[in-house]
Amino acid sequence: MTGGCFSSIMGVVWHLAKRAIFLVITFILAIYATVVIANGGGRVDQILKDQIYTDLKQQYARNPAFQRLPPQEQARQFNISYNSIIEAQGLNEPFFQKSFRYTFNALQLNLGRATQLHSSDLSMRVSDIIFERLPRSLVLFTVANVVAAVFGIWLGLWMARKALSAFDRGMTVLSVTTFVVPPWVYGILFILIFAYVFKVFPAGGLTSVPPLPPSPLILAFPPLIAAGLLGAGYVVYARLRSKYRLVGFGILGAGAALLLVWGLVLPADYFKDMEWHMILPAAAVAFSVFGSWSYTTRNLVLQVMDEDFVFAARAKGLKERDVLSRYVLRAASPPIVTSLALTLAAAWTGAIITETVFQYPGLGLLFYEAISLFDAPVVIGLTTVYALLLVVTVFLLDVTYSLLDPRIKALRR
Amino acid sequence: MAISAPIGLKAAFLEAARTKSGLAATAMLGFLILLAVLVPLLVPFDVVRQWSNPGQWSDNPKLVPPEWSEVFTGKRQPRTVIIPPAGQSGGFDHVRVSFEVQGQNYTIVVLKQSFDFQADAFPSEISLYMTTMFGSKSPLVRSWLTRPDGQEVQLFEDTPSLRASNVSQFRPADVITYSLTYPSFKDPSYQVYANVKQWLISNNVTTSGEWGELFPSPTGFYSNPPKAQVLLMAQLNHSMLDPRTAQVLKGKYSIRFEVDGFSSVDDANARAVVFGTVYGLIGTDDQRRDLLIALLWGAPVALAFGLAGALATVLIQTLLGAISGWYGGAVDELVQRTADFYLIIPTLPILILIGILYRPSLILILFILVVFGVVGATTKVTRSIVLQVKEEQFIEAARSYGASRGRILFRYILPRVMPYTFALIALTVPAFIFLEASLSFLGLGDPNLPTWGQLLGNAYGAGPAIFYTFWWWVFFPAAGIIFTTVAFALLGYAFDKVLNPRLREQ
Repeated sequence: MTGGCFSSIMGVVWHLAKRAIFLVITFILAIYATVVIANGGGRVDQILKDQIYTDLKQQYARNPAFQRLPPQEQARQFNISYNSIIEAQGLNEPFFQKSFRYTFNALQLNLGRATQLHSSDLSMRVSDIIFERLPRSLVLFTVANVVAAVFGIWLGLWMARKALSAFDRGMTVLSVTTFVVPPWVYGILFILIFAYVFKVFPAGGLTSVPPLPPSPLILAFPPLIAAGLLGAGYVVYARLRSKYRLVGFGILGAGAALLLVWGLVLPADYFKDMEWHMILPAAAVAFSVFGSWSYTTRNLVLQVMDEDFVFAARAKGLKERDVLSRYVLRAASPPIVTSLALTLAAAWTGAIITETVFQYPGLGLLFYEAISLFDAPVVIGLTTVYALLLVVTVFLLDVTYSLLDPRIKALRR
Repeated sequence: MAISAPIGLKAAFLEAARTKSGLAATAMLGFLILLAVLVPLLVPFDVVRQWSNPGQWSDNPKLVPPEWSEVFTGKRQPRTVIIPPAGQSGGFDHVRVSFEVQGQNYTIVVLKQSFDFQADAFPSEISLYMTTMFGSKSPLVRSWLTRPDGQEVQLFEDTPSLRASNVSQFRPADVITYSLTYPSFKDPSYQVYANVKQWLISNNVTTSGEWGELFPSPTGFYSNPPKAQVLLMAQLNHSMLDPRTAQVLKGKYSIRFEVDGFSSVDDANARAVVFGTVYGLIGTDDQRRDLLIALLWGAPVALAFGLAGALATVLIQTLLGAISGWYGGAVDELVQRTADFYLIIPTLPILILIGILYRPSLILILFILVVFGVVGATTKVTRSIVLQVKEEQFIEAARSYGASRGRILFRYILPRVMPYTFALIALTVPAFIFLEASLSFLGLGDPNLPTWGQLLGNAYGAGPAIFYTFWWWVFFPAAGIIFTTVAFALLGYAFDKVLNPRLREQ
């Protein structure tokens, strides 16, 4: 028994190790492809060289001492400075050689210096710029996707229970039609409706301008605690025997009260302001994502419902709700997780336009700013980070999958 | 994906079209296809080619909502009135008198036309265009507006320096525009304000001091002064000085030009545009373009782009998936690993990079998208279906009579996969439409062809506040994209229902 358990764990580890190696190779190839494309076969290098040339020309044109030199001497000095700058930036090497150096640097997250952009503390290092913005995007898209996933799975289960009813049909059509539309289109419509017609949410940005002074970070958490309390209250109310229902109501009420206190009593500060600004973009992302969760969940649950072990569970006299959550959802979860790899992966890169629409200063807006300013190092750095995020997402999904699906253990032994 | 009883492509189509969502999808797609066929007939491509030519749209009002939006405001909004040049029907009345006094030739030309104004709101702009022809000396050009209450206000006085050789033809370079709404300080039409001031003071409506407060400096427009067209067309009392309280004076207005020339050849022609505050079915954008044209042309472009892209990628992916599943071994491994690789490449950032560096045309964008989609999710789905089909008896039968592997693949396996392929095509079309829209939104699309994404990008580029005031510029393109993609999503869903019987009934 222990031996079997051990070897099944080894099987999982071996499988994950193989996936990890494959993903690392893919990552390296993707970065190399990006470096090649981002330099446009030397086009960006030419742009950079031209920039250096004009900058240097202007610099010397303003220098009176330089102007007094004879023309040959001027040309000689100019060439010396120009060539030294070109050499210092490594622009004189052949592209083939350079591309490996760029790739190697990118893999070490040694992303170089931006040509135009800078972080809010004026650092021009690409990694500083990116890591200043990364948490904002991570928070926004994680929260939105988690909310969408929880809501979508819950809705999918409900739809499966009421399969083929009017509710199910309506919700299926809603799910199928909402998830084809990307978040930025909803973003535009949401801004139009909620920010300008009803004026309930800000149209965009990270915080109000000028930003409010920050209070202790702990004050940013009440909404999360309240959400937890509301969820727990619902579970207690719905799952437990009726004599505990009062407890459920109590927890629900506490959650609602906390939310009210946070919203109305606690003073507005930096983090609250930020959360306020994140609601509309997060809602747009969640609205375009929940449909794929609910539709996939519904279909998989309906497929699993016909299996024998579900009949057996029902025959034991379990409540329908318990059959659904303990047997059906458990068996249906691996494909749900896999089929959503694409959704999550798309969410990362889709952020470019969503964040631009909301002027939300995360990675996506940085990408937009970088491409409009031709800031090649930032673009390469960002694509690297995007590829890294994709690889990590796919790997985490692999891990989740192998933990959820018992068959993988059996297969890979 | 469970394999049910064999179902042909045609049968799947027919059955999918019979479901409710299939019916809705068919109706929506039918409408779009009808639109795509009719639009090139109704709005010729020549009009669309003028899309980025600002001169083409100068007679449309700027940034105005659709005509039917006056239902919401409850006020009757003015439509654009164009008074064409003399010689055209409804054009200016042209009277020309030439005479000689003491050896000196004089010519007097009078151009006059009236228009009826019955709306509850003021026009958004007024522009007067004039062409003159004269000898060695410039003529004196004056213009008046006669109001329904009998008041006559002089608009401006000018001595044109541009010459037109032929009065009957308006050559753009010879036309002088007198914009009464946005006059610049150096422009003769700036006199409008001085003349209106004179007129109002002489009618005891305002005083010089009060007028000075309304217009703090000759160039000072920072205090939101009353526009010339409001003052000229408002009821003559003190409320007219505030655009919020000014009442429209309804009735017959007439515009009169007088040209006093100093030779016998002098002549002139004029044209006037009183811009409305509503336009067409969809309204106009900041470059006065009729958004309806772009909206209509967006349909065939989006349909063609989405369908071509989806057909190409899904068919290639299906073929590769089928080959991968059917032949197995090294081929299988290669295709599957490539599919994994493509899944990880950040496609959109790379596409944007390509868009910035090479400014590709619509066709090239499509080609690049197809290159980035030769393997993907469809390959995996097809492979899993083929792996199931492979074990069935009719494949065994085909093998036993000696059919080659290629023949089995194309004659037996692919036809079984095709219905799924078509479901996937329907579901892939939205992705392509949105990819194009995303690139256009960022300004990386094809600049010569208006697309829905481009309209959204233009609106967004004009400033975030645009979403508030100019809702029609944002709402209709977004609605167009959503309508089209939802139609395809519903079609895909209908297919899915037919092909996965478990979703249909329990």
